[in-house]
Amino acid sequence: MDVINTDIAIVGAGGAGLRAAIEIAEADPKLNVVLISKVYPMRSHTCAAEGGAAGVIKANDSLDYHFNDTVGGGDWLTDQDAVELFVNEIPRELTRMEHWGCPWSREDAGTVAVRPFGGMKVMRTWFAADKTGFHMLHTLFQTTLKYPSIKRLDEHYATDLIVDGGRVQGAVCLEMSTGKLKLVKAKAVIIASGGAGRIFPFTTNGAIKTGDGMAMAYRAGAALKDMEFVQYHPTGLPGSGILLTEGCRGEGGYLLNKDGYRYLQDYDLGPATPEPVLKSMELGPRDRLSQAFWHEQKKGRTAASKWGDVVYLDMRHLGEKLINERLPLVRDLACSYVGTDPVTDLVPVRPVVHYMMGGIHTDIDAATTIDGLYAAGECACVSINGANRLGSNSLGELLVFGARAGRHAVEHIRTTKPAADKLVEKQASDAEQRIKLLFERKGKERVSVLRNELTHSLEDGCGIYRSGDLIQATCDKVSEVRDRYKDVMLEDKSSVFNTDLFQVLELGAMIECAQTVAVSALERKESRGAHQRLDHVERDDVNYLKHTMAFYNPNGDPRIDYLDVVITKSQPAARVYGAAAGGQHI
Amino acid sequence: MSRKPYVRQMSKTSWFLTHSRYKHYILHEVTCIFIAIYAVILIFGLFRLGQGPEAWQGWLDGLRSPLGVIFQILAFGFAMIHTWSWFKVVPQAMRIQRGESFVPGNLIIGAHYGVLAIISLFVLILAGVA
Amino acid sequence: MSTRTITIEVLRYRPEQDQEPFFQSYTVPCDEDWVVLDALNYIKDELDRTLSYRWSCHMFVCGSCGIVVDGEPKLGCKAFVKDYGDKIRVEPLGNFPIERDLVVVIDDFIEKLESVNPYLIPKEEKSIDDGEYLQTPAQLKAFKQYSMCINCLLCYSACPQYGLDPSFVGPAALALAHRYNMDSRDVGRKAREDVVASHEGIWECSFVGACSQVCPKDVDPAGAIQQTKITSAIDYVTSFLPGGNR
Repeated sequence: MDVINTDIAIVGAGGAGLRAAIEIAEADPKLNVVLISKVYPMRSHTCAAEGGAAGVIKANDSLDYHFNDTVGGGDWLTDQDAVELFVNEIPRELTRMEHWGCPWSREDAGTVAVRPFGGMKVMRTWFAADKTGFHMLHTLFQTTLKYPSIKRLDEHYATDLIVDGGRVQGAVCLEMSTGKLKLVKAKAVIIASGGAGRIFPFTTNGAIKTGDGMAMAYRAGAALKDMEFVQYHPTGLPGSGILLTEGCRGEGGYLLNKDGYRYLQDYDLGPATPEPVLKSMELGPRDRLSQAFWHEQKKGRTAASKWGDVVYLDMRHLGEKLINERLPLVRDLACSYVGTDPVTDLVPVRPVVHYMMGGIHTDIDAATTIDGLYAAGECACVSINGANRLGSNSLGELLVFGARAGRHAVEHIRTTKPAADKLVEKQASDAEQRIKLLFERKGKERVSVLRNELTHSLEDGCGIYRSGDLIQATCDKVSEVRDRYKDVMLEDKSSVFNTDLFQVLELGAMIECAQTVAVSALERKESRGAHQRLDHVERDDVNYLKHTMAFYNPNGDPRIDYLDVVITKSQPAARVYGAAAGGQHI
Repeated sequence: MSRKPYVRQMSKTSWFLTHSRYKHYILHEVTCIFIAIYAVILIFGLFRLGQGPEAWQGWLDGLRSPLGVIFQILAFGFAMIHTWSWFKVVPQAMRIQRGESFVPGNLIIGAHYGVLAIISLFVLILAGVA
Repeated sequence: MSTRTITIEVLRYRPEQDQEPFFQSYTVPCDEDWVVLDALNYIKDELDRTLSYRWSCHMFVCGSCGIVVDGEPKLGCKAFVKDYGDKIRVEPLGNFPIERDLVVVIDDFIEKLESVNPYLIPKEEKSIDDGEYLQTPAQLKAFKQYSMCINCLLCYSACPQYGLDPSFVGPAALALAHRYNMDSRDVGRKAREDVVASHEGIWECSFVGACSQVCPKDVDPAGAIQQTKITSAIDYVTSFLPGGNR
């Protein structure tokens, strides 16, 4: 096995991983960084983020407002020390992106423009038309090219973390073009591998979002936190699940039911005013909007389409000029995929799985419970999102905590002495054996069948509304799939760019993530944010104002534990949207 | 077992037959040959003019011969194609920004045809035709 | 939902067993709103686990799924089955070595991208505390189009110049250099010139224009290259004028 020695290895080259790499390169150009990614960096799913990144910059805004919006939006399951740090640091991070060339949309005076976003009291979302994530990703990737200390292993699939002597010592990865395993020995590892939206059948997430990094850390002993909180974005295109940004509503789009009625006013989000009001109606938080769809569907007020039940996104009154300027991708996608032009037609939409609030548990320095292992971005859970993430907080998160992960990883290797590493080679060869076994074994379970059963079961039991019996059925199904996976069939035995192999490995990661989602959901007997239970409809701060921690158990359900939420200055209260929220008029 | 990337070679002599857009491109490129030959003929005319009236008349007769006329018609046709295909892409090479918008491509192309018409008219007047 | 059955002919190449690529046909029942990528996913899941191709976002933005559909470079997620006949021919992108099946080797492009210094080179470093560089909407507009490239490489596949001479820097990389050159915050044109204005750079381009015709993001690399030629030519001429550097 090839061995690569480096100082810091980063798994994942999306926004968080690239940001971490730059931070390290700037902190100490002598440190070697190896950036491992299963795709070329510009393919990472950060590119699909459309709407923008929230950061306080305008005179009418304040850090407290952003803090309060985020904490309340997360239904008080956020760690308030993390949120406070986040809202403080994000404006500087976004400015830094500007200095690196990110083409933020501008005001006439040349200053950065902001747009309204759901659940935010004041306009504070920086944007680059409706391709914010794309521009951020490419800006970050291109900026990394300035630093010779950053070495990339593009199209390398990380399979295992090496943990020895209680400390992370590196990672094993597969070179996709040859099928060869490489051992990357490192003094610190940062996981920035994104979410696991692909464990659901209907998702905005790209094919690569299979939770590989989450599962890798989980198997190595790190806790997966708050995995039951899965965000449904209210406006996905039916059929494909393609995302239409919240910016559509930020710019003034309406959500209509089949009668052309702005139904959100029936769900404590009104009154319905023609001009958008922040924290009201279409600018309410994502969990509440997706839940409203579910109720409309039950009432028979959604429209039937060939792709199933839908509501309509009405942007016709925004005019062609604004749509072309601020929502060009949305127009392109809607015209291409559902044959409706937002300038002249209603666009059918429905809620779609978009984001995992949960992830690898970290502290505010992005450190996990494993010494030397850090995590940032969607794969991590530093608990700024709580039970429901506000739109435009995730792009900020990957910058703030990507940078912190980099900084603290540097700090870590400066202050810790080398540890015993006698098991490193052995663990690496174990990893090799596991893959070898896949090639040698016959197997009879098909990847596509297992994946199909897994994802549909998650949708059935862990959708917008859940109940104990349905979640239990999902838990049982996931356990069954997990067992059957032991007999999974690798049909392609070749070594060059064997995508069958990668799908088999990805499915393994998906199953681990799915199991933590289902079991965590079963154990949380309350309704909070994106976790709504029909059999426990109230929020229960007495018993569940705490984080779910799932620990790996090779032979059964994860072990579940709980961790207190950090509350500093905002005591749990009712979430208020609509007129009473006092949101800014636009 | 390992990598063995397969390289497909592009034919240096027939690549332009593989797609209609390449054929258009080659047509555009080939047309300039006729324009070049016509330019050589014009320069040769100047040379003949310097040699005296008889030489000049011979050159003129040559142009008026059936072969000369056919060539000039062809060259003219190709020049038109060449003009059209060049003008078509001018807005790509020459973007004119006014505030937040760009001058529409058709306007730029139209302006080129306008200038072409004015110059042609001027030349025709000089030649005593118009 | 109505379906129709189509035949997808895929150019296969498995380096460990094939001497050269060959076409393999698959019969696929398609929904009317499928894209070619959906058909490939169907083949992978239901018919043949050994077919390899790249894809991720399925929404024209990650740039992974560039392929050649019926002779034309396309994004697999933007090639709608309804726009094609009952037999669709799918090949890997042209002008790149085939790694396997529809996967091509793009190392050459990555090197070229890296060679043009594609990052902001400001006149002077500004402290974060001093806020953003000012840039008006008009200044943004001047380069915005060239910042939209998703590196899908359809342009390299369509470019005969790159096919004939692989040393050509190529459309996407040159357009990206132009993107930074045109940015009001950037002064790095000189630093990029060595590569951009070299023989393998803009002057290798004969303006076939195919790159811009196949670009799924309307980046217009051909335009970017011609504009760079004009600027470079003016630079060259002015260098001979008094005060010039020749």
